[in-house]
Amino acid sequence: TLRLICTTTAVQRKNVGASGPEKYTEAFIKKQIEEFNLGKRHLANMMGEDPETFTQEDIDRAIAYLFPSGLFDQQARPVMKHPTEIFPEQRKIQWGEDGRPFHFLFYTGKQSYYSLMHETYEKLLNVQKHQDQLMDEDLPLQKEKRNLAGSRWLTKIELEEMLLEKVSDDDYSRFIQLLQKLVALPCADIEEKYIQKFSKEVPVQLQKVLIEPLQYDERGVAFSTGEGKRKTASATAVVYDNGTGKITVNGIDILHYFPVLQDREQLLFPFQFLGRIGKHDMVCTVSGGGRSAQAGAIRLASAKALRSFVTEKEVEFMRQAGLLTVDPRVKERKKPGQEGPRRKFTWKKR
Amino acid sequence: RIMPVRWSRYNPSYLEPEVKTELYQKPLEELTEEEREQMELKAVRPIKAAPPTLSSSVFSDPMISKFTNMMMKSGNKVLARSLMSQTLEAIKRKQLEKYHKAPENEKETIECNPYVIFHQALKNCQPIIGLSNITRGGKTYQVPVPLTDNRKRFLAMKWLITECRENKHRRTMMPEKLSQELLLAFNNEGPVIKKKHVLHKMAEANRAYAHFRWW
Repeated sequence: TLRLICTTTAVQRKNVGASGPEKYTEAFIKKQIEEFNLGKRHLANMMGEDPETFTQEDIDRAIAYLFPSGLFDQQARPVMKHPTEIFPEQRKIQWGEDGRPFHFLFYTGKQSYYSLMHETYEKLLNVQKHQDQLMDEDLPLQKEKRNLAGSRWLTKIELEEMLLEKVSDDDYSRFIQLLQKLVALPCADIEEKYIQKFSKEVPVQLQKVLIEPLQYDERGVAFSTGEGKRKTASATAVVYDNGTGKITVNGIDILHYFPVLQDREQLLFPFQFLGRIGKHDMVCTVSGGGRSAQAGAIRLASAKALRSFVTEKEVEFMRQAGLLTVDPRVKERKKPGQEGPRRKFTWKKR
Repeated sequence: RIMPVRWSRYNPSYLEPEVKTELYQKPLEELTEEEREQMELKAVRPIKAAPPTLSSSVFSDPMISKFTNMMMKSGNKVLARSLMSQTLEAIKRKQLEKYHKAPENEKETIECNPYVIFHQALKNCQPIIGLSNITRGGKTYQVPVPLTDNRKRFLAMKWLITECRENKHRRTMMPEKLSQELLLAFNNEGPVIKKKHVLHKMAEANRAYAHFRWW
């Protein structure tokens, strides 16, 4: 199993919706909303303003005027907001006054998840029936391929927010498998609307980074700068046009600075990939890290600098070759109770 | 080809980088359906950074770098790399000697490219079937089991290295011994090939227990 060390922003947001069953009934929330609206109108009358056009900012200002508080914590001061913002959107209590639950799948424990699975399976059967009908009439099956690359399924957190209850990893993967099965059928276009509820657009190109234009120095030679990091080493590279292929690091020629062949190969990698070995000059400064880390940092810096000299298609090729990504691998920390990051102390029987 | 070990610092959605320039210079019409889909997928997903051992130059070979890493001791990549280059040089020298001594009609059959010899020798050393220990009712049986590509390559390289480290005279250098072994393996002779045949014979002998395998 792969354990997530890197987390996206979606994972870090605490899912308040699915933390547990609600303590407030729907009627309670409705009452709170009515009280809030009435209170808003009274407040507007008190302040001498028009009750119809009393916005949230006016409410905040009025409360700050009527109840001044010197407390430092902003969340401890008196607040008047719409009940949906104060009471987090959790599931309302699922049973009526007589104790009988509303939903027929309540006693399964995961009512919304199972009802969703039932709905999706119903759609699947629908599509299969439609397909059989078309086959009986000998009509050609529609084979338009959906653009799989441009969309992604909902993540587990997003599904939890949609259903307002906790979804386990197994359940989530089962749901995704069912959706994929539905999409794989040829006549899935009928249920397109239903499927769109669960798929999200992915930004089509990962080229969100701006390519800087070329700068020109005093002699009229075009140049561009780039910065790169690897482990603890940071490097800045300036790539000049109309050069002979000379590369200088911290004022020293690369043959003297990097005696190892592997490091020099890494420096020349971006140039060799684009086929521009003898055409550019490079001057770099690098500090920190070790021999290989410095070489990697300079490689990244020179690849970033070369982006301004090259067409967009070649920039995309460079990205797919792994030249433009920052290498996130760093030294793993030592843990307490162990000798190193992974090595444990020698186990003695007694 | 390389699988992540336990957990990695990259998000699981990151794809492996593709370094060879020929694939990028192909015009759009020559790509098959699968390649087109892969290109579309690559356009959307983020890609991992290329490792320092990988480069787009003609001289970098993933198999050779894997072998160099296996030969490396305590992180001394400089020494391992120099040993590897000396081995390839030694192979080239021996083959050239043979080439110049051979009569005219045999000159074409002698292979001089050390990379070709290395790849062919590794291929000849790879076992097809392996043995795994399965315990049933207290007794451990050696059951014949199919091997994955990765495992075959790993075993071939491991056997070559252990063979060169142990069965040599104290004074012979590693490059010399390795070049000898590689040339023997290229011609399907030598101790490593013998080891492979022994493993195959054991697997054939234990054929009766093949039904113990449940995967």
